[in-house]
Amino acid sequence: MRFRAVFGFLGFLLVLFVALPILRMFWGAEGDQLLEAAAQAEVRSAIFLTLRASLWATLLALFLGIPLAYLLARLDFKGKQLIEGLIDLPVVIPHTAAGIALLLVWGRHSLFSRATGWTMAGTEAGITLAMLFVSLPFLVNGAKEGFRLVDVRLENTARTLGATPFQAFWTVSLPLAKKSILSGAIMMWARGISEFGAVVILAYHPLTAPVLIFERFQNFGLRSATPVAVLLLLLSLLVIVFLRAVVERR
Amino acid sequence: MIRLVNVSKNFRDFQLVNISLEIKSGEYFIILGPSGAGKTLILELLAGLLQPDEGRIEGLSTRKVALIYQDYMLFPHLNVQENIGYGLRFRKLSLDERLAKLKAIARELQIEHLLHRQVTTLSGGEKQRVAIARALILQPEVLLLDEPTAALDYGARRQVQQLFARLHRKYRRTFIHVTHDFEEALALGERIALLFKGRIIQQGEPQDVFRRPANREVADFLGYKNVFSGRIENHRLELNGLAIFTPVARAARAHLAIRSNEIIISRRRIQSSARNSFRGRIKEIYPHLNTVEVVVDVGVELAVDITPQSYQEMGLAEGDQVFVTFKTTSVRVFEY
Repeated sequence: MRFRAVFGFLGFLLVLFVALPILRMFWGAEGDQLLEAAAQAEVRSAIFLTLRASLWATLLALFLGIPLAYLLARLDFKGKQLIEGLIDLPVVIPHTAAGIALLLVWGRHSLFSRATGWTMAGTEAGITLAMLFVSLPFLVNGAKEGFRLVDVRLENTARTLGATPFQAFWTVSLPLAKKSILSGAIMMWARGISEFGAVVILAYHPLTAPVLIFERFQNFGLRSATPVAVLLLLLSLLVIVFLRAVVERR
Repeated sequence: MIRLVNVSKNFRDFQLVNISLEIKSGEYFIILGPSGAGKTLILELLAGLLQPDEGRIEGLSTRKVALIYQDYMLFPHLNVQENIGYGLRFRKLSLDERLAKLKAIARELQIEHLLHRQVTTLSGGEKQRVAIARALILQPEVLLLDEPTAALDYGARRQVQQLFARLHRKYRRTFIHVTHDFEEALALGERIALLFKGRIIQQGEPQDVFRRPANREVADFLGYKNVFSGRIENHRLELNGLAIFTPVARAARAHLAIRSNEIIISRRRIQSSARNSFRGRIKEIYPHLNTVEVVVDVGVELAVDITPQSYQEMGLAEGDQVFVTFKTTSVRVFEY
């Protein structure tokens, strides 16, 4: 009992540390302010843009990241650790630095822009790229762990039963790793929603919710920023709890 | 006829070296060896999942091979019926044809009542039957079995061994079965190959291999309990003042092995043609399921396996004086 009490107390301290600011924010938000903020087109647009761009980023990462995660889980090759390090890099570098790096590759004066005439700076595509860059480790690492847990002999068995490598992947590996992949995708989507640093540098406009919160805080103070922050938080919380419940039930 | 011709393969930290085997069509062939000998790797090469670094495999179409792994490798996200029918997805068959095949194989393996169960709820023996059904439904010409009974308890193991024997008699497909269990090899194999540390050490009929192990390592693996080393002169190997008569006249350095169930133990000296007869004292007695192992100190320690009935009739006890007797032909000599 004492063991559990000590561990429970220590864990409770951390939970309190996370919960306190959030609860305080809800406490400070008045109902009519929330409704007023929700009625503003700028706020609604920023929140939906944020949710949408993060969803595009997650879908793009699912398409490109699952094959990579599978290879990293299954193969040993030269340079594998370098690739794994690169994938994890966005977690450790300041996201403003990530934003600058992205701007150099995708911005107005980049090689990409000069070659194609397009720029990602100040576009929804740019926001999506910034979110993709900073949050893809959650999906790739989640999927990689999921594939690692699938015994390679299950795939071999499928192959000897007539499946091609692609068919073995679709019918055996992917369904068995699905839960880890979806968990990783939810984490990535959530992380994308919260992204500020990289987005603000690559695409300040159109305004995402985190940028709008920052802008209102800078220009009008806490009272103006809080309702938008609470709305974004509530919406994100609802979607994440719902998606997690769906994944757990499968 | 399946031929492996000088097949070598490096896989992670393991090497298969110069494997040459000939397996006749319809034969029940056993690859016997301890854990880590490379048995599964050979099966994965035969299944076409890996390619040899050197050498070649002839007479085998990988599309006509089915592999059953030790842990059955049933797909946990599919139920029994979906597992059995998995391979049919990739064949051009109508739904009726698939169902007919499925029902027939389920009846054959007596698992009709399991078809709608989740595979995670099955016993080891049931899982094994489902894995066999999943392989046999595709009518493979070659069935590769990777330690198929290793994870089963004694009763289920016997049942599955009998099932394999019955299926082999019925279908006359080529069965290539790897195991570390010599009794299983004796019970099922028409021919066996012994695999040690990635090399084939010996091939032949099971009884031959068992009676004439190629070297000391094989003898140890096959459960020979009495293995000695020394110099043979005039058909005699001197050990601690003991002279063991051997079928070999002379060898500078040799190992010899005496099968523990070919040694006779008696209260009095036996008058027989057997040239090796020694007096000793019982040092230890170990009862097993079907035998009793009596260790007799005759200058060296000799393990003798007798039936529980003989043990009781003779009333043997530790410290008793006894005689041990064995023929020269029961002594297997490996020179080195």
